[in-house]
Amino acid sequence: MTTAPLTSRVGVASAAPTGEGPSGKPRRPGTLQKKDRLIGFLAVLPAIVLVVAFSAYPIAFAFFISFTRTNGLVFEWRWLENYITMFNDPIVQQVFVNNLKYLIAIPLVIFIAVVVSVLLFERVRGWKFFRVVFFLPNVLSVAVIGIMFRNAFGYYGGVNQALGLFDVEPIQFFTDGNLAISIIVLALVWSGFGYMSLLLFAGLTAINPAVFEAAAIDGAGWWKRLWYITLPNIRRVLGFVFIINVIFTFTGLFGYVFVMTAGGPGYDTTTIDYLVYLRAFSSSNLGSGAALAVMLFLFIGVLTLMQAKVFKLQRED
Amino acid sequence: MAEEAVISKRITSGRANVPIFLVLAVVATSIVYPLYFVIITSLRPNTDYLKDSFGLPGVWTFDNYVRLIEVYGVGQAFLNSLYVAVVTIVLVLILATLAGYALAKYPVPGAKYFTSIFVSLMLVPGAVLIIPTYVMLARLGLVGNYWGLILVYVSGALPFAVFFLSLSFRGIPVEVIEAARIDGAGFFRTLWSIIIPMGSSGIATLAVLQFLGVWNELLWALILIPEESMKLLTPTLASIGTRFLTDQPLVSAGLFITAVVPLLLLIFASKYIMQGLQVGVSR
Repeated sequence: MTTAPLTSRVGVASAAPTGEGPSGKPRRPGTLQKKDRLIGFLAVLPAIVLVVAFSAYPIAFAFFISFTRTNGLVFEWRWLENYITMFNDPIVQQVFVNNLKYLIAIPLVIFIAVVVSVLLFERVRGWKFFRVVFFLPNVLSVAVIGIMFRNAFGYYGGVNQALGLFDVEPIQFFTDGNLAISIIVLALVWSGFGYMSLLLFAGLTAINPAVFEAAAIDGAGWWKRLWYITLPNIRRVLGFVFIINVIFTFTGLFGYVFVMTAGGPGYDTTTIDYLVYLRAFSSSNLGSGAALAVMLFLFIGVLTLMQAKVFKLQRED
Repeated sequence: MAEEAVISKRITSGRANVPIFLVLAVVATSIVYPLYFVIITSLRPNTDYLKDSFGLPGVWTFDNYVRLIEVYGVGQAFLNSLYVAVVTIVLVLILATLAGYALAKYPVPGAKYFTSIFVSLMLVPGAVLIIPTYVMLARLGLVGNYWGLILVYVSGALPFAVFFLSLSFRGIPVEVIEAARIDGAGFFRTLWSIIIPMGSSGIATLAVLQFLGVWNELLWALILIPEESMKLLTPTLASIGTRFLTDQPLVSAGLFITAVVPLLLLIFASKYIMQGLQVGVSR
């Protein structure tokens, strides 16, 4: 799980658990203070203007477009028409179900990430090297990961070549929707667990070592310590990892789907974000794509707020 | 860190580490082997691949790379990607350093609102933005123009970049800046001679992360640059990957060309990458 997602995930990661106010600002006499305020404002201005123009404004514009029938040049106001069509659209329903299928990747990613992070935490010889290796897929483009898996499971790919060694006929992995989804899920797990284990590892290092020491003195074995100390202590990070993965599954699969299956066969592997793309560039009405995008935005917004709330609650504990 | 290591060593001492090492090694192999397979495959002709895919190549050749660069424009795409990535990073670093410094150390009016704008726009999914942004850029005549793409990348990167840098600049002691200001140094002077040198590790981390982000990005590069000769590397790779299903060595060479820059960065800048990804998580 990579790149644009890479940085945006980093964003969440750092956004969530911090919450400090500005501190250590110099106090100085009136006129200087006034000048400083102006300088500070001017320094922030270019960044804020760009962000508002190319992130905030487009969101508002997406809302507008979703209430219209448009080809991008002429806008006809149609109230909720696009939304009504969307909710009755069997393709949209199918695509939503597809997205739910992709969620299978999450328990797999988390399970492997927990195992890997707990083992890394033992700090056996070479653990730093392993950490970098596990992280490796995260620096690769979705295009690279997707095509690599598509290749490996293609008709002439490594997997079929290996099966051929045992005289098994080549399998067409991408002609069946569910089989194709499981290959994409495999790609997601392969590329995703490394970063998640890094997050969990950071959670582990935050546990007070004295707790482990005390448990060890009391004679708690390795498994007992894992179950009663390690896992309960990282449940906050686990929850966080879970939610960013859900968000990612609904917003970050475009690249995988685009290069691995192009949404097919039929719409069997299409995700919501991929459908937005399809509607944007192969439909005469951008409004329907925008309505879908707005729904996605609201859905992700709710998830993000939930996450923020959960973290606040737990911080107050 | 050192103390923790000692303690955990004490806890695990007496326990054989071999099983743990083996499990980690198996997982690591599952990551490394596919990449190894891609690299080896890219260095052999297709006939050789189909004869024996898993052994070492009977014939070693750079032919796949040469063909990609000479016939399919991958070399040009590589340069295009490099250009866009470098321009984007320079702009992000300049704008984010200015804003980050101001938010960390200056009494910016409305700082709370600015920060919350940045934080809340950190996570807007690309799918939400493609339609409105495309319409907007088309009207401005910026579709099919690198500047449209660069503007989208820069504005997409800024929220995290500003947040990240203001966080890391906050750690620089006020006394140092105050002392310089008493000597008459202004905003730019303190920025240049104190903030940038002292915050260089954070800035380098950001540069590496942003480079990876732009280099690997697919969606915007795909829709905003329709012109064949201007295409960036990832869309070029995607179209080669779907066109040459029967020629695995050729596609593998394309995969390696796209992956090699990030891999080199991971090898030589892993410190910065790991650092950047753990910001805030450990709190």
